[in-house]
Amino acid sequence: MNTVARRGPKALVVHGDIGSISGLQDALSRGGCEIVAARDLPTALLAATHNFFDVIVISSRVSEEGDGWPLAGVMHMIFPRAYIGVIARDKNVCTLQAAINHGATQVFETKSAPAEIAGAILNKIPTSSKRVQ
Amino acid sequence: MLIVDDESNVARTLKMVFEREGFDVQTAFSCAEALKLLDRKPPLDVVITDLNMEREDIGLEVARAAQKLKKPPVVVICTGYANTSNAQEALDMQVDYLATKPADLRELLTALRRLLAMRGAAQRGLAQ
Repeated sequence: MNTVARRGPKALVVHGDIGSISGLQDALSRGGCEIVAARDLPTALLAATHNFFDVIVISSRVSEEGDGWPLAGVMHMIFPRAYIGVIARDKNVCTLQAAINHGATQVFETKSAPAEIAGAILNKIPTSSKRVQ
Repeated sequence: MLIVDDESNVARTLKMVFEREGFDVQTAFSCAEALKLLDRKPPLDVVITDLNMEREDIGLEVARAAQKLKKPPVVVICTGYANTSNAQEALDMQVDYLATKPADLRELLTALRRLLAMRGAAQRGLAQ
C-alpha cells in the first residue's frame, strides 16, 4: 500500500520587523504550519523559487512603505491558489483596493495580534481562491 | 466582454475603447439587464461592472453572479463610489480588480491582459 505523508500548510512570512516575524511564526506554527521567514524582498523571492507555499503573509511595508503590495502581486502570480494576507497600517479604501488589485485574500491591520492573524488565516485556507487562477 | 453601467455615456465610451483594443464588447445599462446577459454563448471572458445602478452596491450582485458561472470571467468593479464597506465586500468575494472612476484605462487594460493571461495559463494547465 502506498502512503503519502501529509504535511501542514507551508507558509511564507515576509516582514521587516523581526519581532513581528517571530510572533507570526509562533502563532502559525501552533496552527500546524511549516514556516519560512524573510525580512526583505530578495529573500522572499529566493524562498519562492525553493518552496511551494499554501499561505503567504506579507507586511505592506517590508523595507519601505508599500513595497509589500507588488510582492503580494508577484506571489499571487507564482502561487495563484495560495492564501495571501497583507498586514497594513489601516484598512481604508486605498488599502482594500491595493489588496484586490494585487491578488491578496485578506488585509490585517498592524495592530492585530499575531494569534488573531493566524486564526483568521487558518480558518480561510480551504476557501481562499475564487480569483483568476 | 460585458460592460455594465447605468450611465450610457460611460458604457459606450468603455465599449469604444475596448473594441479598439480587439475585445468583442456587449453593454448592459442595469444589473437586471446584465444578469440576463451573463450566461450567453460563447462565455464571457471579462465582466466590468459599475457598483451603484438600480440601487447602491448592486454591482456586487453582477459580480457575484458572474463568479458563479460555469466558466467564471475576470470580474472588474469600476466605481466612483468605493468605500470601506463595499471595497471590503469586493475583497471578501475575491473580485479580480477594483478600478476607481475616473479609471486609468491604460492601467485597466494592462491589468485585464495580465488577468486574462493568468486565466488562460490556468485553463491550459487544467487541460493537460
